[in-house]
Amino acid sequence: MSTAIENKKLKSNNKLVSTSLLLGGVLIAVMMIFGILMLLAQGGVIDVSDAAFYQFLTIHGTGMVGAAALAAAGVMWYFLNRYVELSKKIFIWFLGLVLIGVVLVVIGVFSFKYASAWTFLYPLPAISANAWGVTGALLYLFGMLILGTGFLLLYIDTGRAIIKKYGSLGKGLGWDVLSGKKKVSDAPPKAVVASTMVTIVNTTALIAGAAVLIMNIINVINPSFTFDPMLAKNLTYAFGHIFANAIIYMGVIVVYELLPKYANRPWAVSKLFLVAWTMSTAFTLVIYTHHMLMDFAMPKWMLIMGQALSYANGLPVLVVTAYGALMVVYKSGIKWDMASGLAFLSMFGWTVGVVPAVVDATIVVNHVMHNTKWVPGHFHMYMGLGAVVMLFSFTYYLAKIDSNVKESKLDKIAFWCYAIAMFAISAQFLVSGALSTPRRWAIHYPGWMTPAVFGAIAGVFLVIATTIFIIHFVRYLKNRGTVGSGLNEQKPA
Amino acid sequence: MVQTAAWVTSLVFMSLVFVVYAVVAWKSREKSDYEQVKKKWTKARKIYATSLVTVLLVVCIYTLRELPYDLPIYGDDQDPTVVDVEAVQFGWIMSETEFKVGEPIEFDVTSSDVTHGFGIYDEDMTIIAQTQAMPEYTNTVYITFTKPGTYKILCMEYCGLAHHYMVSEITVTE
Repeated sequence: MSTAIENKKLKSNNKLVSTSLLLGGVLIAVMMIFGILMLLAQGGVIDVSDAAFYQFLTIHGTGMVGAAALAAAGVMWYFLNRYVELSKKIFIWFLGLVLIGVVLVVIGVFSFKYASAWTFLYPLPAISANAWGVTGALLYLFGMLILGTGFLLLYIDTGRAIIKKYGSLGKGLGWDVLSGKKKVSDAPPKAVVASTMVTIVNTTALIAGAAVLIMNIINVINPSFTFDPMLAKNLTYAFGHIFANAIIYMGVIVVYELLPKYANRPWAVSKLFLVAWTMSTAFTLVIYTHHMLMDFAMPKWMLIMGQALSYANGLPVLVVTAYGALMVVYKSGIKWDMASGLAFLSMFGWTVGVVPAVVDATIVVNHVMHNTKWVPGHFHMYMGLGAVVMLFSFTYYLAKIDSNVKESKLDKIAFWCYAIAMFAISAQFLVSGALSTPRRWAIHYPGWMTPAVFGAIAGVFLVIATTIFIIHFVRYLKNRGTVGSGLNEQKPA
Repeated sequence: MVQTAAWVTSLVFMSLVFVVYAVVAWKSREKSDYEQVKKKWTKARKIYATSLVTVLLVVCIYTLRELPYDLPIYGDDQDPTVVDVEAVQFGWIMSETEFKVGEPIEFDVTSSDVTHGFGIYDEDMTIIAQTQAMPEYTNTVYITFTKPGTYKILCMEYCGLAHHYMVSEITVTE
């Protein structure tokens, strides 16, 4: 009887999580199309008006991060829910608010021509040189505020549940283990540690984001209300950097859970692991200043810390998470399928993406690379080849344990197609950056066009591969619960 | 050139990461006792972590020696030319646009509306310096041109629909 109830609860939870993943996955695919259109326009292949280009830019940046965060939150919720009691109602509210936010943003951008890019750098929303009006700006800013409120609600709930079970967020990060009050064997599971980190950083990010959004809203309504543009910029990047960064910290739970299972090897929590996650928590909160290295008016020590801590931020992943994943897989006889393959690929994407990120965080390099296409080069690698791959790894995993849908050769082709295409897109951005091509430019001079065209072609293959991933997931959704192996899956690796 | 150094460095380390992952994936077909694998590679991690921290520390300190924020040390007979730069949707207002090779220049950059980016491009369209053009703030770019030619000023921060038309020119003569 209790098994039947548990099974029903699990199915219902899977349905909720699947909704966030499906919505996120489809949005990601659609945003990819906008990415291709922008590259084609920059490559001189198609003619896109300036207004349309910057609308695409705004929706692509906002949509990609929003969609990936939505799906990643679903993944985190799925795994965290095994260890703590999360509120299903809050998750439904979260989905609802995100959906409302997305609708408002889309209407603002496409019906009211709002195009401030995701950065909405104060006072651009109010001073558009007559490109968009108050309505468009308010729709976008309120949309973002509602979307952010949805996320904030979710993280308040994850924080509440972690505190209820473990006593405090510090204990969720395993600080009582680090201080010697508790044995390592009693440390919180990896999913809890990661979720605690994300709860802390994203709550901070969302509060910073809400503050700058509200100030922008007031400025749009009443331009006589002004505030410090440098403060606004700090808040904007504190919000944007942390929020985008946290996607991979939610997604990596998939890697922690899947690779040990597939390799049939334990990946236990150690003190080093806990130290790494505490480091990631602290660094993620403060390194956003590497977005402001060309703001010479900022305190110099903050910019130097921006470089130094960005370097240090590479250490937890390079020394602990990626290294740990490699140890688990090395000579393990692991069973490779789409889920395990994508999990492994995602760790490669994350690790390789650290390289151009660290290079760009170097002040003397940033002096000639800032706001060139080098920047999207590094984050497409890290997000597209890292975070988003983790999400698709999870969709295949869910399909495997909760349905009888089998993987086909087409899925394997899509795997390689995705990996190569995403790498090619990232590489063309890096090449463009090395060629000094500015980012966020609707047109390119002839010497800058070739990489953009190459990227657009790679983008087509990327969309095809992503569509195949999504089709597999939709097939799962139609056959959900046909295996009933979900309860076995409850056992953590 | 900084861009080439950045590209080559990235390429080398990205290739290294690729090789490591490829070898591990290839070796994953074999099966070995995990305790032995763990023992060996946990030991190796100490060397790897120490090397990595050392390299990052050295590179970080080395690259922080000279920063674009620092006022250069001028000679006794060298008075820098101070140029007022004001960014405005969608153009550049500059107090001077003609300079000499070897002349120390300070571009005091600000904005009268939204945030822009002041990027100096050489004749090969390679960016050689930049700063943000912020309303209410002034950022100074210190530069001494070493080659004559026509340099372009491009906007490096998205500032509205005509952002990519926000291009100006300065001339540097012998």
